Amino acid sequence: MEIDDILASVDHGDISSPESTALDHQLLTRFWVAERSVPELLPWPGRLMDRMMERVRQQIETIEDLAAASSEYTSTTTTGQGASTNTSTSTSTSTATLKLSILQTDLSRTQYLLRSLLRQRLSKLTKHSMHYLLLSTATPHAPAPPPSSASSFASESKQIQPEDSIPTPLNPPPPHCPLSASEIAFLHTHQTLLARHFGSSFLSSFPPQLRRLDDNAGGTSMLQGPDAKEAVFVRCLAEEVGIVAPPEPGDGIEEEVVGGTMRMGDVWVVRWEAVRGAWERGDVEIL
Amino acid sequence: MAFPLQRGITPPEISFLAEMEMVTIVPRQRLEGLELLGGPVEPLVPPRRTTVPLWLASLLKRQRRANILPPPWLHPESLSLILDIETQHQDYQHAFSPPPPLPGQPRLRDRGRKPNARPRYTPEGQRYYPTPPFLPQNVAQDQSFDNGEPPTLPFHWLEVGTMLLDVASDDVVDPDQTRRLLKELREVRSAKIRSGVDVLDVAAVAGGGVALTGVGAMEIGEGRGFIGGVVDGLRRIGASKEQARREQLAAAANGEYDATQDYDDDMEF
Repeated sequence: MEIDDILASVDHGDISSPESTALDHQLLTRFWVAERSVPELLPWPGRLMDRMMERVRQQIETIEDLAAASSEYTSTTTTGQGASTNTSTSTSTSTATLKLSILQTDLSRTQYLLRSLLRQRLSKLTKHSMHYLLLSTATPHAPAPPPSSASSFASESKQIQPEDSIPTPLNPPPPHCPLSASEIAFLHTHQTLLARHFGSSFLSSFPPQLRRLDDNAGGTSMLQGPDAKEAVFVRCLAEEVGIVAPPEPGDGIEEEVVGGTMRMGDVWVVRWEAVRGAWERGDVEIL
Repeated sequence: MAFPLQRGITPPEISFLAEMEMVTIVPRQRLEGLELLGGPVEPLVPPRRTTVPLWLASLLKRQRRANILPPPWLHPESLSLILDIETQHQDYQHAFSPPPPLPGQPRLRDRGRKPNARPRYTPEGQRYYPTPPFLPQNVAQDQSFDNGEPPTLPFHWLEVGTMLLDVASDDVVDPDQTRRLLKELREVRSAKIRSGVDVLDVAAVAGGGVALTGVGAMEIGEGRGFIGGVVDGLRRIGASKEQARREQLAAAANGEYDATQDYDDDMEF
């Protein structure tokens, strides 16, 4: 892994080279397909997204400069010039228009990728909001934290409000949190608004102990997470990848076992949890 | 509603992806090289062949600024050879014809050899193996089939074929025959998908899966909802079978290897 680190550090910072542009485009496309196909939220590729956003910004500037230059050019040359220069102007403007339309198509395609990716993530976040909000706090899968953060608020009303059950995200977020900083902020605000709305519309008429949104009375948690057992289509990229059956505490099976084996170039339908590790290593691709 | 589409990329999104496939064009006018967000585009100098993404090729073709050289597999001769493999060949009665090998993957006839794929590394230091649509599977080649290898259908065959017939039918050899063969291939292969539903319950248990090697992107897109739904439904029904399967796997992992382990490998359809 050390050699990889050295290789990686060499590539850093040089975001303007054409090779890194092409590679990042391929990475973004692959990540988009994976995010669209997988049941749970994938880790936020912060550095890749930063590079892509920077490139999009630069490309928009380039396009604006070109558009300004070409409109200036036509307005100056068409005023009072001979017919001989007009023909050469029309070919050069048609080339300029072609160039602009190519650049704009390319920009729109990239923007579509980014937009679709972000909206898909938002949809996953809002679907299982409390689950992901808990991931952005200290210990994932911990029981509901005591409502200490809202103690001053509770002392005023002497009552438990639904929004008390919303955990406050850590700053900075824990290392394995799959959310970006703005996604955490969005999710926290979203969930607070939702809890306040539930509170004012019906939860306030409930007994106080039934107002929490993360109740796990009776051993059943009311929080639902994404189902990692859903099937996905994958292509095996490494020489051999095992289909993993991860340990399941509830079943009394604690160790990870490997079922079938995929070979390079194969396309399989498997559970997402069976290939999650391989996906993180870059050994499989989601289709 | 942040996002109304269901899980898994939809057919229009698969076409969008297929438009990133590289194809060969012969430009009819000059254009300087461009730095696009999808990677650089070489300068266009007629009549020198250039490789560009399919979306750019069809944009240029529509404006009659270039001609597209169809990929070698999109030819009546190659397509009927593939159709023969799909229908006549003993090994592929229930499986798709083999896909083009990934870089580093041994070709079909030297199957025994070890793959020697050399990954690239991302700026984050992760391994990266390029795959379709970022492999030159649809560029024109000078010798149609290298060294007697049978032609293969690339991952985005249906989308690329349809788009090329749509935009550049005058560049394709015998477009009517090509269109007919594409349709036949599509029917033969979707019959295989339908007949393979029987084995889907293997994918519903832990550590199991169903191989679909050789499947096309659009065929996945069409079958995704159905296959995913069947597998998830069977999993819920067969939750009790799951424990037995896990114990069997754990026993096999502890050295009691028996022949039942191999049965996943024959599940191609």
